[in-house]
Amino acid sequence: MMLFLQTTINGLALGGIYALAAVGFSLVFGVLGIVNLTHGIFVIAGAYGALILFTQFGIDPLIAIVPVAAVMFVVGYLYQRTIIHWAISRASLVASLVVTFGVAMMARNALQLAFGPDIHTITPSYSFSSLTLGDLRIDVVRVVGLAASLFLLIALAVILNKTHFGRAIRATAQQPLAASLCGLNVRNLHGLTFASGAAMAAASGAIIGIVQPFAAASEVAWTLNAFIVVVLGGIGSPAGALVGGLLLGLINAYTAQFIGPALTQAAMFLVLVLMLLVRPNGLLGNAFGETR
Amino acid sequence: MKRRHFLQSTAAAGLVVAATPKLAFAQSDNKIVFGGSVPMSGAAAETGQNVLQGYECAVKFINEEMGGVEIDGETYTLELDLFDDASDPSRATTLIQRQVDEGVNFFLGSFGSNIVLPTCAITEAAGRIMVQAGGGSDQIFTQGRRRVFGIFPRASRQFVSSVEMFTSLDPAVETASILYTNDPFSESQAQGAQTELEAAGIEVLDYIALPAEVSDVTNVLTGIRQNAPDVLICTTHDQTSILIARQMVSTDTNVPMLYQTLGPQTTAYRDALGDYSNSVVTQSYWSERAPYSGDYFGSAADFAEYFRANFDRDLVYHMASGAACIISYVEAAKQADSLDPDRVRDALAALDFESYYGRIRFTEDGDGDPSLLGPILIQRQEGQLEVIAPPEGASADPIYPAPDWDERD
Repeated sequence: MMLFLQTTINGLALGGIYALAAVGFSLVFGVLGIVNLTHGIFVIAGAYGALILFTQFGIDPLIAIVPVAAVMFVVGYLYQRTIIHWAISRASLVASLVVTFGVAMMARNALQLAFGPDIHTITPSYSFSSLTLGDLRIDVVRVVGLAASLFLLIALAVILNKTHFGRAIRATAQQPLAASLCGLNVRNLHGLTFASGAAMAAASGAIIGIVQPFAAASEVAWTLNAFIVVVLGGIGSPAGALVGGLLLGLINAYTAQFIGPALTQAAMFLVLVLMLLVRPNGLLGNAFGETR
Repeated sequence: MKRRHFLQSTAAAGLVVAATPKLAFAQSDNKIVFGGSVPMSGAAAETGQNVLQGYECAVKFINEEMGGVEIDGETYTLELDLFDDASDPSRATTLIQRQVDEGVNFFLGSFGSNIVLPTCAITEAAGRIMVQAGGGSDQIFTQGRRRVFGIFPRASRQFVSSVEMFTSLDPAVETASILYTNDPFSESQAQGAQTELEAAGIEVLDYIALPAEVSDVTNVLTGIRQNAPDVLICTTHDQTSILIARQMVSTDTNVPMLYQTLGPQTTAYRDALGDYSNSVVTQSYWSERAPYSGDYFGSAADFAEYFRANFDRDLVYHMASGAACIISYVEAAKQADSLDPDRVRDALAALDFESYYGRIRFTEDGDGDPSLLGPILIQRQEGQLEVIAPPEGASADPIYPAPDWDERD
């Protein structure tokens, strides 16, 4: 029983990080319909940003979330309004897939040029702390990561549901033409939505940098994880990302503990395929799909 | 000239140029060109850059300090024609095939058995030679290839000295657990470790495969805590080794000895773990404190001095191993007194010479002779990498059992 409990705690802690890393991807996919293959770059750029602020200025990575997210918000906005918008307007939505893939490759190499090929980690004073509850061992950093994930996901949910900006994003996602006729600047809102997704990804990167080693090449895994989370949980909502992320974390943990660690990725992809067959919109469905 | 004739002559000239064998490419202008790929980017880039700088160091030394190499009355300089395979085997094979088609005769290896294995299959099939310091998987050396040479012993033979050290410890090691990632090198090395441990009467409690890309090992560590082995052996690559060690600290998973074959040598490992990296044991295939010397570079300490004076990365054994590939080629060509690939191949197979790297000799299968080129064991003690085995070359006694994590910071 203790082993099951320990495994569940490990899975939830891991899932919290998956959820936070995926919510930006989910938002962009849900609102703009773009499968953003640059997503992992935003995550790893956030980790590098937090690393710089920590090593150069001694700023704690959890505090560094704010400036890192702000910078990536601006970068994301400019990226959507220029490269992605040009690709979509001149070709089709599918073109964004190719464009974001190409940009991701270039950005990965640019990050490597800037920061070198070496593996990095962010090590604040609490990065090795653990909690012991009887026989249970809990990695404090992962609990901090889970808490930060929940906080940011709740904040995003409140923004989407309770603010004018959030209502405008949802309106744009549901009926772009009608939203435009109502006076909303749809292009600008698309840019702001993409920017929000990039900011969330960068915020998650700051936390991931504490939890595990990273290099520029790590971005691929985070894009893939985000895709799986969205397929599991559903598109376009923080709740969907949270459910998908936690589910992915639990699948990973239970498989590693009770079947074999070598099969964790096989289990993740098996569930992905099953979900696409049985419930392609994910457990919580497409947050905007039914009204489109 | 009529337009048709002009086009015909131009096309014919083009065909002649295209069809001309480029075998002279490898030794044109009195240059010996070494082809191959290195992971300058991607997952294996950190160690790939280390191996690359080893290659560059040897070429620079031989060209600038020795004035090149004299073979059959001619003086040749060395040149590298290496490309970035981005840690991607499919990219590496495509580009290696192109270099084979261009006539490159002498290849250096990439880093990682997953890349070396398919690329050496191409060079072998084309009758070209590869000397490499990046692939230790048994499959590289046990499939009948005659033109592939490795500076390291094959993975399954890399644990002989380690198990000898385990059995010499007080208290003696009785149990061990093994973690490995699902790739050819890591798995071969783990199999070798299991065989050697069991032959020495050490019980292997866990033999756990991790996926090639690892993001979490907390559940695996739960099992390790329950079984409490005397030694936890991780035949993992740098990033996974850091992850395992970090999560061991943060979940307070203590073992008397943590032994990781790759990772603890690197600056990234030391930076990530700080004082927690103390007492971790690892392998190394070369030490600047080793009492070796030879015609190239001089002694091991001289190699270290030359490298540091000319290159910027922190010196680890991969640089020395990379440079050893080049001097093996050069020594073989000198002994063959020819750049004919067959004669150089035969000279490599018969090679036996002293160098800053130790005595270099290959087995009949092409891997490094384990009695000469096997690993020494290193333990970080108070921030310094100390040699703890074999005893005749040791600079410090092993710290065993290691203190708990909370006593190391």
